[in-house]
Amino acid sequence: MGTETQLVKIEHLYKEFDADTKVLADINLTINKNEVIAILGPSGTGKSTLLRCLNYLTVPTKGAITIGDVTVDAEHHTKRDVLELRKHTSMVFQGYNLFKNKTALENVMEAMTVVQKKSKDEARKTALELLDKVGMSERRDFYPSKLSGGQQQRVGIARALAVNPNVVLFDEPTSALDPELVGEVLNTIKSLAEDGTTMILVTHEIGFAREVATRILFMDGGRIAADGTPEEIIDHPENPRLKQFLNFVNRK
Amino acid sequence: MFKVSYFLEVLPVIASKVNVTFELTIVATFFALLVGVVIAVIGYYKIPALYQFTRVYVSIMRGTPIVAQLYFFYYGIALYSAFVRDMTPLIAVAVVMSLNMGAFMSESIRGALLSVDEGQKEAAYSLGMTNIQLIWRIIIPQAIRVALPPLFNDIINLIKQTSLAFMLGVPDLMGAAKIEGARTFRYFEIYAAVMLIYWIIIFILGLVHKFLEKKCATMY
Ligand SMILES: Nc1ncnc2c1ncn2[C@@H]1O[C@H](COP(=O)(O)OP(=O)(O)OP(=O)(O)O)[C@@H](O)[C@H]1O
Ligand SMILES: [Mg+2]
Repeated sequence: MGTETQLVKIEHLYKEFDADTKVLADINLTINKNEVIAILGPSGTGKSTLLRCLNYLTVPTKGAITIGDVTVDAEHHTKRDVLELRKHTSMVFQGYNLFKNKTALENVMEAMTVVQKKSKDEARKTALELLDKVGMSERRDFYPSKLSGGQQQRVGIARALAVNPNVVLFDEPTSALDPELVGEVLNTIKSLAEDGTTMILVTHEIGFAREVATRILFMDGGRIAADGTPEEIIDHPENPRLKQFLNFVNRK
Repeated sequence: MFKVSYFLEVLPVIASKVNVTFELTIVATFFALLVGVVIAVIGYYKIPALYQFTRVYVSIMRGTPIVAQLYFFYYGIALYSAFVRDMTPLIAVAVVMSLNMGAFMSESIRGALLSVDEGQKEAAYSLGMTNIQLIWRIIIPQAIRVALPPLFNDIINLIKQTSLAFMLGVPDLMGAAKIEGARTFRYFEIYAAVMLIYWIIIFILGLVHKFLEKKCATMY
């Protein structure tokens, strides 16, 4: 293609929580605009840690992260670097993590008014459009405690989109949901993918990853053990650990 | 026997001192809240050295009777501090009540700060909010809702504690009662009047407390 614009670049990223827990080891990765990346892998292999390093919720031990025009080097980062980096990403959490003291609409508006300093009217307008996009405009004045898990997660997605991020990070966005609510959230994510939103999605939903992702990473033991198209990773796996993982998941 | 006419006569005499009770309550509430917030924030961030100090402080304040604290301060410390010696009894009572109630309030406030879960903080950070924005816009509004009912309860306790002022000779409700008693010896009616006045005040505040509790529980 050749016209791809690089949005995310991870160089020699390491994370150790302490001397005995080396969670990420020399991760290198480039992500282009409009890519939808799914990250698969056994539990405890560092998928969440990798995602959280991208917005410094977890501070990496070593390595550089570039998102858009911001580069942050773990060994010499400042508070301001981290804030800048965070303004270029947003995150959808497994536990939704909506602000409990704010309505659905206020949750979506919050970062626009407080971080981006947009006017209330402008923020409101954008927020209403986003709530409409995730099918939540009717419940815009509801507090999170009055919404189902699936509804909260859709608001969480609208909130993440509100800051117009370079890339949206999803950490198992449906794992906490009752099975009957998973579909509505996956459909929302799918529609974002169709709009060309750049996303990185840690998930255990292999079928969904196969369908929606443009590229799949398989993580194992703190490294990216396989990286390829959904066909390569899911249909024709070569890495033995990946084969084992897929067999294990399919049996469940 | 209980003389209603005397009771009705003495009631306004004693009630006329209720301003001392209110003044003490308001001043002590203000400073207790201040002490409480400072201790709670130290506890929340576990600031080294200060944290250990406040734990001991809170433990002593909660673990000893306030009368003992008052005497220790007003008679004990006064031996070595001209500053305390020069205090009027009313101010001394206000200081001890603030220090004591501040310790209690700090626990309510710290609990309320801790009630805001890690997930919401991470969400705020992930959107690029600063610590200050997080504290003002997310943590404090939620903490107030949690802390308000127990704090109000602490204030109700403060009102009852103001009767301590009498022990240092401040002419509050109890003081007025003592003067009346020395004159008429009608302790039955006099202390019934004192109790009635306290009870009415606390009862009204109790209603407000109930209302607040309900309001806070259904706010969002
Ligand atoms: N704050 C922490 N302190 C110490 N160790 C941690 C911390 N967070 C994660 N770890 C460790 O890092 C490793 C990777 O954790 P991580 O959450 O990234 O795994 P994961 O691939 O997301 O797993 P899962 O699929 O179960 O969510 C685990 O062994 C975990 O115990
Ligand atoms: Mg995880």
